[in-house]
This record gives sequence, C-alpha cells and structure tokens, in this order.
Amino acid sequence: MEDNKIIVQVDKTVIKITGLNIKGLNLQEVEKIISNKLKSLVRVIGVTGKTIEMDVYGIEEEDILKDERGIIKAVSLAEGITLSDLAQISSVKKIKSFDIDHIPEYNGGCRGERWL
Amino acid sequence: MLSNVVIIPTGDELNEGIVLDTDSPMIMQEIIKLDGRCNILRSQPVYDKEDKIIECIKSYAAGKADLIIIIGGSGGGHRYSRTLGKDYTHSALDLILEEKHSSEVYGKNGHMWSKLTCGRLNETLIINVPGPYDEARAVIKAFCSAYKNNKDNLKELNRTMMKALIEQYVSREPDSIIQEE
Repeated sequence: MEDNKIIVQVDKTVIKITGLNIKGLNLQEVEKIISNKLKSLVRVIGVTGKTIEMDVYGIEEEDILKDERGIIKAVSLAEGITLSDLAQISSVKKIKSFDIDHIPEYNGGCRGERWL
Repeated sequence: MLSNVVIIPTGDELNEGIVLDTDSPMIMQEIIKLDGRCNILRSQPVYDKEDKIIECIKSYAAGKADLIIIIGGSGGGHRYSRTLGKDYTHSALDLILEEKHSSEVYGKNGHMWSKLTCGRLNETLIINVPGPYDEARAVIKAFCSAYKNNKDNLKELNRTMMKALIEQYVSREPDSIIQEE
C-alpha cells in the first residue's frame, strides 16, 4: 500500500450562485459558457437543485463581483438552469495559501476535516 | 483481455436528475477503444454514502468484473465546505482495498482536490476518476494507455493517471511536481 501527496500551486476563486432552479444540467455546457465569459478555466464543483458552486482559475474576487449580473445571465443560458428572482452570487472566495510545514500529519485521508 | 467492465457513477445529483451523466458514455468509449470485445455495464448512480459505494463495488467484484471504474467523489468535498457534495469514493476504496496505490493532489490552500487510487479486490482491478468531465477524460485516457503497457503495475497505472490529472491544472511538467515519497 503506497501513497503520494502532491501540492499544486495555482490560484483559484470559488464562486457560489444561489437562487437557481436546476434540472438536467450538462456541466460541460455551463463550464464552457462561463469559461468563455471570464476567459479562464472553470470547473463546477458542486450542484444542488438551487445552487451551483464553481472554481474559476486565475481571476480575482473583485473582477467577478464587478460583473455579477453578467455572470448570472451567462449561467442562465445553459440548458437545465432557470433563474429565480433571488438569483445572486452569494459567495466569492479566493483560496488562501497555507504553510505546509505547520500542518500536522493527518491519517484520515483528507487534511481539511479537522478544520471544521 | 478485458471481459467485463463496470462503470459506477456516484453522486446524489445524478440520481436526482439535477445533473446529466456525461462521463459514463465517454469512459465507455475509451474502454471500447482499449478492448472492443469486452462487455461494459454502466451501473445506476450510487448515492454518496460510503457503505452504499462499498456494497456496490463488492457486488460487482463478486460478479467477476475484471475492471471497475468509479466516477466522482474523489475530492475533499464536504470536509471543506458543507455546501459541497459528499466525497466518499476514496475513503470507501481505502476501506476495502488491501493491495493499492494512491496519489492525492492538494491545492495551495491545503484542500484535497482529488485522490486517485488503483487497487485490487480479489481478481478485480478497481480505479477511480474525478467527476469533472475534462479531468475524467484525461485520467481515463492515461489509464488506458498505461494499462496497454503493463496492466499489473498498480503504481505505474496510478502515477500515469495522476500526471494526466495534474496537467489539467498546471503548465509545468508534472514530473517536476510529483515526487515519490
């Protein structure tokens, strides 16, 4: 039994959009639409019937917030998503670096669990 | 030769019809390219519960599958954000595979983005791929390529898959990032 651990040093911002109605969504389509809009790599990381959460690489928080309505409108172009009156970007967070030397070894498979 | 291959998508959002499963058909196509003679079964998506995933894997392994491919649930998910999906594939594999090799990729924030595992349960080779389509495609292509060269070398299979995954995020040569422990 062997394990490798690798750290990738790239910047990304996590965006959460709420107030959506989602059914039968093709994630590739929504990633492509937002990627074209922001000119950056986008990955959807979480979807419920009402929300979508995505990673956007190399874009600052303020640039996303500046174009909130444009991003929401773009998301609504994807088949399977309709907007409610409450549609909004409810969260935008750029990931923060951590110091790997000061994180104790964790044997549960996922280092973040102990931070909750 | 592969006789029986099973693809197991995971995720509550698939079962509830919120998201379409576009990964399974793509993976099926890659497996057909690898060996056009094999039977391929796409399982009903499994809910994100560790015991359900384990039960599903064990039942297909007992049914003499040569290869089981599990899609999704490879990241830290709910362990970092309560709003994210439940990611239990890697922990389920840790519990049932005795012979295995794994690689974990973390972001600079310390969150685990993905853990890829190649292992065996009796005679069945079991691997997992991440849920996002482009990552899943890169990883399964890498697996098929490595499998053709040496299907028994779990470490090499896993390393090749992880290299392909890292290439999705960074432009640097993955070998300069992956360092053997």
